Amino acid sequence: MPEAPLLSVSALNAWYGESHILHGVSFEVPRGEVVTLLGRNGAGKTTTLKSVMGMVGRREGSVRFGGKELVALPSNRIARLGLAFCPEERGIFASLNVHENLLLPPVVRAGGLPVGQVFDLFPNLKERLSSQGTKLSGGEQQMLAIGRALMGGPKVLMLDEPSTGLAPKAVAELYRNLSTLKSGGLTIIVTEQQVALALSLTDRAYVLEQGAIRLSGRSAELLGDPAIKKAYLGVA
Amino acid sequence: MTAILFDGIVQGLQLSLLAVGITLIYGLGGVLNLAHGQFAVAGGVAAALLLQLGISPVLASLGGIASAGVLGLIVDRTLMLPAYRYRGEERLLLGLILTLGFSFIVDGTLNWKFPEFSLTFRLPVPLMDVAGIPMRTASLAASLIAVLTFAGLFAFLRLTLLGKSIRSIIENEVGAELCGIDPSRTRTLIVCLAAMMAGVAGVTQGLFSSLGTEMGPEFTILGLLVAVVGGVRSINGTLAAGILLGIVNAFASHYVGAYVAYIILLSFAMATILVRPAGLLARFT
Repeated sequence: MPEAPLLSVSALNAWYGESHILHGVSFEVPRGEVVTLLGRNGAGKTTTLKSVMGMVGRREGSVRFGGKELVALPSNRIARLGLAFCPEERGIFASLNVHENLLLPPVVRAGGLPVGQVFDLFPNLKERLSSQGTKLSGGEQQMLAIGRALMGGPKVLMLDEPSTGLAPKAVAELYRNLSTLKSGGLTIIVTEQQVALALSLTDRAYVLEQGAIRLSGRSAELLGDPAIKKAYLGVA
Repeated sequence: MTAILFDGIVQGLQLSLLAVGITLIYGLGGVLNLAHGQFAVAGGVAAALLLQLGISPVLASLGGIASAGVLGLIVDRTLMLPAYRYRGEERLLLGLILTLGFSFIVDGTLNWKFPEFSLTFRLPVPLMDVAGIPMRTASLAASLIAVLTFAGLFAFLRLTLLGKSIRSIIENEVGAELCGIDPSRTRTLIVCLAAMMAGVAGVTQGLFSSLGTEMGPEFTILGLLVAVVGGVRSINGTLAAGILLGIVNAFASHYVGAYVAYIILLSFAMATILVRPAGLLARFT
């Protein structure tokens, strides 16, 4: 019998106030795999991650993580269970410097990366140790957010549009880092507008449209299918 | 001149005690507490009642401070619950209404039960020479208590895990929650702590001057002004702003009278919002 997926989302519905955003989203993330959620702006990618994390007003359905149901838990409990989320706005402590950002939040889980290893992974951060959060470039902020998440010892790392607002060089570096984390065995979920980039990193892809999964498959297969790319992702 | 300056610093430290509580509750709970001065008055009244029972001044003071803390705890766990169900602007507005209503209840009750009340510790007040200026030892004691309270608060926020959680939440509530920190648990603690600091201000007010049941709104307003000038999310800034506004207030009251002093303080707060919206000591970004 194959191992149950580490994260399994089924029939997830979510609302912001009166508006019904997710209509029965279901997907699975096996341990050690890297999964991407694709789709146009407003398709529900961010809402899906936020719903998994307990950050939307109202949600129904099931989010099972390591055999535990998350749908009724507040986001701080979900974080303590080992789901790390880097939102698009990154959630770093803007008025603190890099070092304080990494060391201020008390570590609530064992098994996290020591700060030294965060700097091994992201040498740029070490150079900018005493720079204030807001003075960092977009790429550095993203690495800081990921570094802080890794210090919490996550079992799954969820990244929302990590390449947004980054220079092409920073995007390339970010994806090199993600690839390193992937080969270290970390389970990752990433939403992305840059379809080809996401498909080249990930094992599996789900395409969202109007708050529902329209298509899923192995990333390598989707990458090689121009008709699918054109129809669902709006790229030629 | 120097006497007015010292007077201002003494008053200013009391204002800082009030304002830091407002800052902490706002930073952590997203609520501007319009009943904060009433916490101070309630603490002072409790101390006075204990004093009347023949309890020693030190124990009566501690009892008053503890009473303010208990009041804060009760308010957070009951009255504020409807506000905490919301976030952001809705919580702020609902919180304003709830705490304003609560302040009327406290004011009304205290004025009704203790109409002629004023708290002074009838302690002998020998004068002491500070830099050539005769100071009442009571003023010095009040300032010393305020400074020690701040030292305790800073040590708590810097050195303890709970303090670090609190600072994380003040910096960025979503970010802190994503690091696994539970904001609601820490919030109750902070409201209780802030109410106790207000209690310290109320009790020490009785030490160097007198405290009346009608002083709640004045405390709240002055505390809010200081919190605004200090930057409603900065504790260091609030401490500095309290001392600064205390000095400004002392000089203005002495030379142009108390009402104009208020207008000057308000102008100060307005100017701060225009020139340095994040507060006096905010780091430039």
